[in-house]
Amino acid sequence: MKQALLALGVLLLSATGARAQLLPTEPVSVADGRLVVSAEISATVGGGDPGFFNYTDYEYSGLRNLRVGVGAELRASRWLQVLGELRLDHATHVEPFALYARIRPWPERRFDIQVGRIPGTFGAFGRTSYGTGNLVIGTPLAYQYLTSLRPDSLPATADDLLRMRGRGWLSNFPLGVAAADRGLPLINSVRSDTGVQAHGLKGVVEWTAAVTTGSLSNPKVRDDNGGRQLVGRVVARPVPAVAVGVSAARGAYLSRAVERALPSGARLDDGIQRVLGVDGEYSEGRFLARAELIRSHWALPFALSGGGNERLGAHSLLVEGRYRIAPGLQLAARAERLDFSRIQAGGLSELWEAPVQRIEAGASYSIIRNVTLKASVQRNVRDGGRIRRDTLAAMQVVYWF
Amino acid sequence: MVLARFALIGALVAGVTGGTGDTGAAAAAGAAAQGAPGATGLSARAPSGATVQVPGAIRGRLDVRRVARPTERRPEVAAPGSAGPRDLPDLRRGVVYLESAPRGAFEEREPGRAVMDQRNETFVPHVLAVTVGAVVDFPNSDKTFHNVFSLSRARRFDLGRYAAGHSKSIRFDRPGLVRVFCDIHSHMNAYVLVLSHPFFDVTDVDGRFRIDDVPAGTYTVVGWYDGEPRTSRPVTVPSGGIADFELVVP
Repeated sequence: MKQALLALGVLLLSATGARAQLLPTEPVSVADGRLVVSAEISATVGGGDPGFFNYTDYEYSGLRNLRVGVGAELRASRWLQVLGELRLDHATHVEPFALYARIRPWPERRFDIQVGRIPGTFGAFGRTSYGTGNLVIGTPLAYQYLTSLRPDSLPATADDLLRMRGRGWLSNFPLGVAAADRGLPLINSVRSDTGVQAHGLKGVVEWTAAVTTGSLSNPKVRDDNGGRQLVGRVVARPVPAVAVGVSAARGAYLSRAVERALPSGARLDDGIQRVLGVDGEYSEGRFLARAELIRSHWALPFALSGGGNERLGAHSLLVEGRYRIAPGLQLAARAERLDFSRIQAGGLSELWEAPVQRIEAGASYSIIRNVTLKASVQRNVRDGGRIRRDTLAAMQVVYWF
Repeated sequence: MVLARFALIGALVAGVTGGTGDTGAAAAAGAAAQGAPGATGLSARAPSGATVQVPGAIRGRLDVRRVARPTERRPEVAAPGSAGPRDLPDLRRGVVYLESAPRGAFEEREPGRAVMDQRNETFVPHVLAVTVGAVVDFPNSDKTFHNVFSLSRARRFDLGRYAAGHSKSIRFDRPGLVRVFCDIHSHMNAYVLVLSHPFFDVTDVDGRFRIDDVPAGTYTVVGWYDGEPRTSRPVTVPSGGIADFELVVP
């Protein structure tokens, strides 16, 4: 919190400095353009989040964070580039968010193969997740909210699962790792997966396909379950104002920690997450609107109460928009809902997780082109957990070059 | 070079001796002096006998020793593929203008109109110089959206997103430097230099410039390059003649 406050002040002061070109305003290019370095620093200061609505995989609230991301692109040749981004989150977690080689076999064609810790394939949020691209401050529920489900710990009964409703930031189950830990979001947007990705563009259609070691909810650097994820996305832009995308993914999400707990005949890679998403964007003039619908299913490779496989479903609907009311000044809002499927427990049909709704509205103002000040208010409502409703306010300063 | 000097001496003699004072002679003198350093000029005698100053010209070359590099694309680490090709902006051009304008420069003039196109993710031209009151059109010649905006003090505006084949315009009512960007493509940037008088010229790719119809007198000429004034020097424009010199941007 102190670091974020300090950084917020420094960034605000530096807005004046940037005018005097004390800070870079454009990507730094060295070796005749062969190496290009850019960065984004965002300092976010918000109130406490006792309901853990905005907590992420790194055990911090997205509304209290100091993030420094330094990206680099090494242009070895026309057909080979190496790209990477090193991220510092919450002033404590340093991790390569991405590090991969981009191969362009035919430089004149829009076709790339990327190998390494690759950017996300699924959904529309990946490219707009940066402070500069995010319309508000919070991260969409589907890409951040922690469910109680864990990759390394399994419920033995339906009651075990229901007991953890609304406790995704610190859940625990009897099988596998016993210690309480963070659960899984539908899609993890703070870590990247590792694998091979192909991308192409032909006319108005852009496609991406990837094979990775992890899953959407549990991306991995090293494989820990012998399973593979297949993920693909197609985007069509029939006219410049409209983009429509469809994404699908299927990957193993359980880790070796639960291997011993599996019933005989069950395998780790029976624990499959299947996700389907549809998204759309419309923009014209000063107006931009987006919508995204995501459905996810996790298969538990044994019965919660001794029967067949259990499929735990979740679906998210998001609508967001912004309107620029003056140069550098814009208003934005996002409304979203995260729902869960039902399971049978004690003869009753129950939602396995607590549904969450969130509305966030805010404004942003660009002091200069590459320094933006944001403020937003977020209302969270959850049908479960210790704290069921909370209104949170946050401010953010974003500087980039 | 020797011939040019002879021509210069000839033109000076014509000016000193009064010459005929017609513009054809002035133009001829200017043409004869092409390529010669320094200034040539002439004055005309009015029927009443008073000497009338004939406007002259300033020309020369802005020698940019270190041409700026175009803005690189930011490494798009989160993008699943590389971006398409783009044109690189022509960064060899600068602007040469008079620091202070001669009398009559602010007389009412027809506001100009200029065009800054958006092609292959590049503003063309990269540098535009206009007078106060000029309207600049920003057509989109790409297949994708662009969003032209500026947060400069001299002119804040946001034209919003618009598609290929459409154009939006903005009037520049205050002198100053306006940095123009695209909200969608961060590497797209350009300059609109808004001047309060018409005594300026954007250099060609070789750095050459020419400012016509400059009343005779001594001025400070400024060489502007890559966002700021970089060099200046005093220049005397002779009546009906041409001041020819070189400005160096180190």
